Formats: sequence, C-alpha cells, structure tokens
Amino acid sequence: MNEFGINKELQSLQDEIKRGFDSPPPPEVQKKRPKIKTVKEKTAQSDFWQQDTSWLFSWIGTILFLTLWNAIFLNKPAFKQIATGFINTVIISLQVILFSLVLAWGVSLLLNHLSANKKQSLQFMVTFFLNLIRSIPQIVGILFGYIWITSLSGTNGSLGNFLSFTLIAIIISLFIFIELADLMLERIQHFKKLDFYDAMRVCGIKESRIINFHILWKNSRIHILNKLISIFGMAIFLQCSVSFIISVGLSMEIDLVSLPNTLGTLLAKIDSKQDILAIGYAITHPGYIPQLFFKHLQGITVSFLLVFTLLSIYKIAGGFAKRYKL
Amino acid sequence: MQNRFLEHITSLLLVTACMLTVFFFTHNKLDKTEADALPYHYSKANFQFVDFNNSFQKALLSDMLNLYHPGREEDNIRVYNTLSGVAQMDDLEEMQKSHLKESLTGKKLIEIIGMGVKFLFVYLLVMILTYYGVQVIGTWRFIKQKQRPFLSHSSAKNKIKQAALAVLSFISSMFLFSPAYVIAYSIRTEFNTDVLFFVILLGVISNGLLITYANKFYNFLLTESKKGYVETAVAKGLNNNYALSSRDTGISYKSIFHPLGKFKGHVFEHIFKNARFQYLSTLKEQAVFLITGLIIIEMALNIHGHLSYEMLRQLLHKNYDIVIAIILCIFYTVKLTEIVTDILIQRETAKFANQLQPPTPATIRSVP
Repeated sequence: MNEFGINKELQSLQDEIKRGFDSPPPPEVQKKRPKIKTVKEKTAQSDFWQQDTSWLFSWIGTILFLTLWNAIFLNKPAFKQIATGFINTVIISLQVILFSLVLAWGVSLLLNHLSANKKQSLQFMVTFFLNLIRSIPQIVGILFGYIWITSLSGTNGSLGNFLSFTLIAIIISLFIFIELADLMLERIQHFKKLDFYDAMRVCGIKESRIINFHILWKNSRIHILNKLISIFGMAIFLQCSVSFIISVGLSMEIDLVSLPNTLGTLLAKIDSKQDILAIGYAITHPGYIPQLFFKHLQGITVSFLLVFTLLSIYKIAGGFAKRYKL
Repeated sequence: MQNRFLEHITSLLLVTACMLTVFFFTHNKLDKTEADALPYHYSKANFQFVDFNNSFQKALLSDMLNLYHPGREEDNIRVYNTLSGVAQMDDLEEMQKSHLKESLTGKKLIEIIGMGVKFLFVYLLVMILTYYGVQVIGTWRFIKQKQRPFLSHSSAKNKIKQAALAVLSFISSMFLFSPAYVIAYSIRTEFNTDVLFFVILLGVISNGLLITYANKFYNFLLTESKKGYVETAVAKGLNNNYALSSRDTGISYKSIFHPLGKFKGHVFEHIFKNARFQYLSTLKEQAVFLITGLIIIEMALNIHGHLSYEMLRQLLHKNYDIVIAIILCIFYTVKLTEIVTDILIQRETAKFANQLQPPTPATIRSVP
C-alpha cells in the first residue's frame, strides 16, 4: 500500500464517519431517545397557553401588580376611588354584555319568526329601526341617555347604585347589541340552509329548539362568546368616554354625585389631568420619568388601566378567534 | 339594491320629520314658557322700588297684585315668585344667562352649516387617511407574515432584534389603543392640541380605529391567500416572491405605499383586490366608529367652533332646537357615507360579476 493508498483509505473513513453524523440514527435508537422539547415548543403545543389565555393572565397579573404598587405608594382615598372606579366600570360592562345578549337573542328570534311567517311589512319595520339605530353614532345616543339619567336622578333624588348601573348598561347595550344580533341572524340563516335543519324538522323537533339549542347554543356559542368579548371592550371604551365628556363638559350644571364613579370620571378629575399632563413633560425631560410612578400615580394608573384593559381585551378576542379558527 | 336605497330615503325622511316635530314642539314650548313666565309683562324694572329682602314689602307686593288682578291668584303667585326670583338673581348671572340662551335663527343655522361642512371635511380626510393606513399596515403585516418562515431565528442578534420589535410593537399598540383624550392630555404641555391638524391626527391614530381595521384587512388578505385560485395561479407560474425589493422579483416598497396598491404581475395583486372588495362592506361600520371618535375628540378637548363641541355646549344650556339641527347634520353625514358605500359595493359587485357593461349588439355579432 503506497502513500496515496493510505490517504484514500483515510478519506473514505472520514466520509463514512461524516455520513454517520449527518444521517438519522437507526429506528431502535430513535425510539429509545426521547425528543427534548424546548420551552417554546412546549408552550406552542399546549392547548391552554395561547394568545388569549396569555393576555388574560397578563391582564389580571398587571391589575394585581398595580393594586400592590398603589397600595404602597398611593394615598388611601385616591386608591379607594381608583378601585371603586375600576370595579364599577367592569360591573357596568358585564351588565352590558348581559343586556346585549338578551336584546340580540330576542331581536334575532323575532326577525326569524317574522321571516318564517312571511310577515314582510313587520320584518321591514324591525329591520328599518335596527338600521336607524345603526346610523346613530353610538356616542351621541349614549350621551343623551346619560343626560336623561342625570335629569332623572335630579328629579327623583339620588338613584341607587344598582339602578343607575342598570340604566347605564341598558342604554349602552341599546347602541351596541346590533352587531351581536347580526351575527346571530347570520348563523341562523347559514344553518337553515343546511340539511340538518330540514332533517330535524322532519323528525318533529320544534323550530324554537333547533334555533335556540342546536344552532345558537351548540353551534354558535363560540362565535357569540367572541363577539361578547369585543362588546365588553366597546362598553368600557364608550362608558369611559361618555363619563369623561360629561365630567368635563357638564359638571358645572349637572350634579354627578348620583352617577357611579368610573375610570372616565376619575380621568376627568383635575388631579388625574395634571398627572397625565406630566407625561408630556416627562417626554421632553426624561429625567422626570421616575417621578411619574410615585408623584403622579393616580392619573397614570387610571389612564394605564383604561388603555391596557382595552388592548388586552382586543388581544384576547383576537386570540380567541385564532384558537377556534373563527 | 333598490330596497336599500328606498330604506335610506325613508329613514332620511322619517328622521328629518321626527326631528322637525321635536324642534317645533321645543320651540313652541320655549315660547310658551317665556310667555307664561310673566303674564302681565312685568319685569324687574317695574319694581325697582321694592326691597325683596324685606318681608313686609314682599307681602305688600303680593297684596297689590291680588288687588290689581282679582280672581287670578295662580297667575299672581307665579308673577310674584318670578319677580322675587329675578330680584334675588345677581345681575351678572342674569347677563350670563341671557347671553347663553340662544335660538335657531338664520344666522345660527348658517353658522351650524359652516361647522357641519368643517366636520364633513375633517371626517372625509380622516376616512381617506384611515383607509390608506389600513391598507398599508394590513399589506405590510401580511408580507412580513409571508416572509417569516424564511427568516432565521437562531442568532443572538436576531433574538435581540425580535425582542426590541416586540417592545416597540407593545408601545405602539398601547399608543394606538389610547382614547384620544388620553393622548391629547399627555402631549398638551408641549403641543397645542386644539388645532385642526391635531383633530385629524388624533382621529386617525387614536381610539384603536387604525389598528382594529388594519387587523380586519389583514384577516381578509389571509383568508384570500388560502383560497384555491391563489394556489392555481402560483402553480401556473405567477410571481409568488414576497421579498421586499425594488427589483421585479419581489414586492417593492413603492407598491406597498401606493394608494391603489399596484402589484402588477404578482399573485398578491389578486389577493389584494379581492380583500379590498370584501373590506368595502366594513366601511359603514368604520364610518360610524370614526364619527364616534371625532365627536369624542371635539367634545373631550373642548375645541371651540367645532360641531360636536357646539352640540355639547348647546345641550348644557338647554338650547334644544340648536341641538336638533346639529344631530341632523351628523345623521346626514352617516347616511351619506352609507349611500356612497352602497353605491361602491354595487359597482364593485357588478365588476366582479362582469355585469358593469352589458354586451352591445356589435360585440355579440363579432363573437364567432
């Protein structure tokens, strides 16, 4: 074996080793060796930890952190006001969800009943009024509703918390339930075209049961839930905006004591306004930024709570739609 | 479609009729209350000699009214109460009240129409800018999403870049989701937010409008890209390269920022056109949301001389006839958008169904 022969042998040996590294291990070895997953892979595969749940928990976590921070650094009366304002906002928005659901369910059943019984003139009238409500900018309708509530509390003395919460929620839901009603009607129309509807009718199942239970509950509840999440966000936004406008513009004429404290009314208070104005100062004077978290806590907390809640709800709704491929 | 137009016209007529009825009702009521206030046309000037803080003189006035107008006790009591109320009122306050009380005169109507035109101008500008922004952001996000599988994530540099992008995205999302009044108050110390430019800027970027509708457009793009015709077009050799470049191979920056989105020869051209057609149906919803946003901006920032602020002011001073005129102005704006959107949808639907120009006899004859 000459010098060249040895080199050739070495070369082939090296190639074989290389091939051994590159090629996958034999099946028996593969079975024995469990595949190690990275954290990212684990979380990606998990059904629970997706965008919606991650945002839901980060929202709750942030609120808890803010509570702790404010409990330490903010004075007690202001802390109590913020807590009350936030809870009131959430309670009213939850009530809005409830009323919107009831209204939308009722309207979609009514329209479905009218179309099934060929009462076209009545159907046209209901649709017409729904479209009319759609054409009124929500804020205008809600603003008038708020003024009506304040005048009501002016004549009847202070309305109770429960009554004022309920009235506000009903007024807000009147202007936002239409989106949900549209969705429900769309789902009913879609499922009515499918064979299963006729098959069930032939089997003798009541139409009301098919629509309420089989179509809306069994086959559309995920879609409805997704829309309700969006309605929750919309309710917070509208409620805070209207209470902010009323607090800023009408506070001189109308006694707002009877109206519940929300994030919007808190934001309109002079202390909060000054705190928010400090953000602008901090942008041009970065050295002032740390002061924002100690000296201007009330306004910063209220505005952050409002904005972060809106963002979180948007992300939760988006994640929910992604999870169920809506 | 005819039904839709009929519905629009009916609602326009009905709402106008309702508002005019309320207007005349409130107007007459106002006149009536003014007339009812002082049935004998007395004013404070007629009783300058009476000291209303003196109870004896007040009782004397009451007796005198009963003596001069016997059998009209109710009217006399009302006049007495009104006069004593007027007397107790501070002169300055009286002057302020009279200044604040307004009614819908011809001059006021012209002023409101002027504000309405300004509102319409701002609204149209914000609508166009938002529509453009929605398209650009949606397209950009879609192209980035298409590029994602080809990017390497392994290097530390890339990870830092991704983390920085995530932080930037969070901050920009927080900013875009902020209600207009939060943004405006945060920058008020440094900028004058009461100018028209800021109203337009806030209308576009605040209240979550841009981000919500950009996401909708992105979802339309995503849905379209998964359809069979796209795969067929790619299989037949249509350009499918989503690399951002100025060359013919990928997608150029210029085409992304083009107002009409020109992607000639690329499969994305068809995805974009179809998504834009679907997006048209959400324009009405966007318009109502946008008007809500503009009203919030004008009211919350107390911008004088704007329609929504004027509405809030007149509402505060209970000048309901003027409020009704302003509401009608806003309602007409929404209805105008709805009608224009319906026309656009009808035109685009006809275009997609090849029904825009019916074949002429000449073209039919030329077909072999």
